[in-house]
Amino acid sequence: MKKLVVQLLIFTSVSVSAQTANAVIDNINSKYNAVKDYTVNANIKADIPMIKILPNNVKIYFKQKDKFKIESKGIVIVPKQGFTELNNFISNKSKYTAVFGEYLTIGNVKTRLINIIPNESSGDIVLAKIWVDMAKMVIMKSQITTVSNGTVNVDYTYGDQVSRGLPSVMKFEIDVKKFKVPKSVAADINKSSASKKKNTKTKGTITISLSGYKINSGLNDKIFTKKN
Amino acid sequence: MLLRNTYNEFIKIVSKPRSFLGFGALTILISLIIFAMKMDGETIVSFITASFEQTLSFNGKIVNGNLIAFIILQMLVVHIPLLVALVTGDLISGEAAMGTIRMLASKPISRTKIVFSKFLAGAIYTLLLTIWLGILSLVVSHLVFGSGDLIVLNSDGLVILQEADILWRFGLGFCVAFLALLTVATLSICFSAFAENSIGPIVATMAVIIVFTIIGSLDVTVFDSIKPYLFTTHMASWRSFFEDPIPFESIYQSIIVLIIHIVLLVLITIFKFNKKDITS
Repeated sequence: MKKLVVQLLIFTSVSVSAQTANAVIDNINSKYNAVKDYTVNANIKADIPMIKILPNNVKIYFKQKDKFKIESKGIVIVPKQGFTELNNFISNKSKYTAVFGEYLTIGNVKTRLINIIPNESSGDIVLAKIWVDMAKMVIMKSQITTVSNGTVNVDYTYGDQVSRGLPSVMKFEIDVKKFKVPKSVAADINKSSASKKKNTKTKGTITISLSGYKINSGLNDKIFTKKN
Repeated sequence: MLLRNTYNEFIKIVSKPRSFLGFGALTILISLIIFAMKMDGETIVSFITASFEQTLSFNGKIVNGNLIAFIILQMLVVHIPLLVALVTGDLISGEAAMGTIRMLASKPISRTKIVFSKFLAGAIYTLLLTIWLGILSLVVSHLVFGSGDLIVLNSDGLVILQEADILWRFGLGFCVAFLALLTVATLSICFSAFAENSIGPIVATMAVIIVFTIIGSLDVTVFDSIKPYLFTTHMASWRSFFEDPIPFESIYQSIIVLIIHIVLLVLITIFKFNKKDITS
C-alpha cells in the first residue's frame, strides 16, 4: 500500500511538472508562431579549428514552417543544424515529453532547464535541452543531440525583438573532432608530417549577430527556391 | 649582338611545330577541365568539403572562376614542365643533331653569349606559356563561371579567401610558377649541352622531376634533410600565396633556391658549352 502511494505521488509530480513544462513551451511556441516570416541582416563570424574564414555579412530569410535561406555574396559557413530544427520539433507536442530540470543562471538571467525527450526513437533528434528565461519566456540556451550531427549547443542573446522571441546573437558550439582533410586533395608536398600543425581544439564556434529584423512582410516562396 | 642572337633563337623556337604543342595541349587540357567542372563541379568540390559538411553547411557560390583557376593550376603544374622541356631540351642538342652547331659556333659571338641567348629565348617561351596558362585558367574560367570567394584545401585545413583578396595572389603565384618553370627550362638546356640528340635531355629532365617529386612527397625522415635543396620542393610554392597568413619567409626561401638553381645550371651550361668539342 505504502509502495503504491509513493508510485502515485511520483507519477502525479512528473505529470504536473510535464504539464508546466509544456505550458512554458506553449508560451515559446505562441511567440514563434506569431512570426510568419522574417528577413534579417546577419554577420557571421566563424572560429573553427582547421577552417580560416573572415567574418561575412549575409541576409537571412525565414518563412514558417521551415523555409530558410541565406543570401550571401561570398562563401559563408553556418551550422547544418540549429536554426529551425528546435522550433519545428517543439511545435508538435505529440512528438515529445517535456520535463523540468534544474535552475541555471546564464549571465544575470535565471533560467530553468526543460528536457525534451522524443516519444519515438525513429526520429533524428535524440534529446533536446532548453534553458528558458521564465520571466521573458525565451530560450537562452539549447542543446540538441541528433543521430546525424551529434550535439549542437547554442547560446542566445536578445535585443529589441525579445518580445517576439527572436535573438540578436546566436552562438553555436560545433564539434570538430570528425573533421579530416582528404590527403589526396590537399597536395601540399612542401609540408612534412612533422611540420604540420597539430589541431588540439575539439570545439569551434560560429557567432551570428542579427540586426534589422523585418517581420511578417509577406515573403514570397520564390525567394527560397531562387539560387544565390 | 646578344639581343639579336636571342631574337634569332626565339625565331628558331617559333619555327618548330613542337613549340606549339604546349599551347595546344594546354588549350585542350584546360578546356576539358572547364567542361568537366561545368558539368559536375559541385560533386567534385563536395570531395573537399565532405568531412566538414556533416556538421557545417557551406553557403554561397563555391564553384566559381577563382576555384577553377586554382584547380587548373594545381593539376597542370605537374604536366607543364614536360611541355617546357619539350622545347628547351632541344635548344643546344637540336643544333648538334641537325648539324648546325658548327655554323652557330663560328658566328662572331662568344659561346657564353650563345648560351645566354638560348637561355633568354627559352625564358621568353616559358613566359609566354605561363601567360597562356594564366589567360586560359583565369580569364576563361571567370567568363564561364563568374567570380567569387576562393575555397582552398591545405594540409592544415580549409582557407576561404574573399573575392577582393584573390587576384593579386594569382598574380604573384603565376610569377613564382614562372620561376619554377624557368628552372625546369634551364635544367633541360643544361642537359641539352651534354647531349647530341633531343630526346635525351627531355627524358632526363622529366626523370629528374619525377624522382625529386617522389622524394619530396615521401613522408620519410631520412629525406627531410635533402628536401629543402630539391627544386621540385619549391616548385609548388606558388600555392603558399593562397594560405592565410601568407608564409612570405618560406616563399622568399623558395625563390632564392630556384634562382640559385637557375644560376648554377646556366653556369654549368656555359662551362660545358665552352669546353664542348664540336665535331658534328
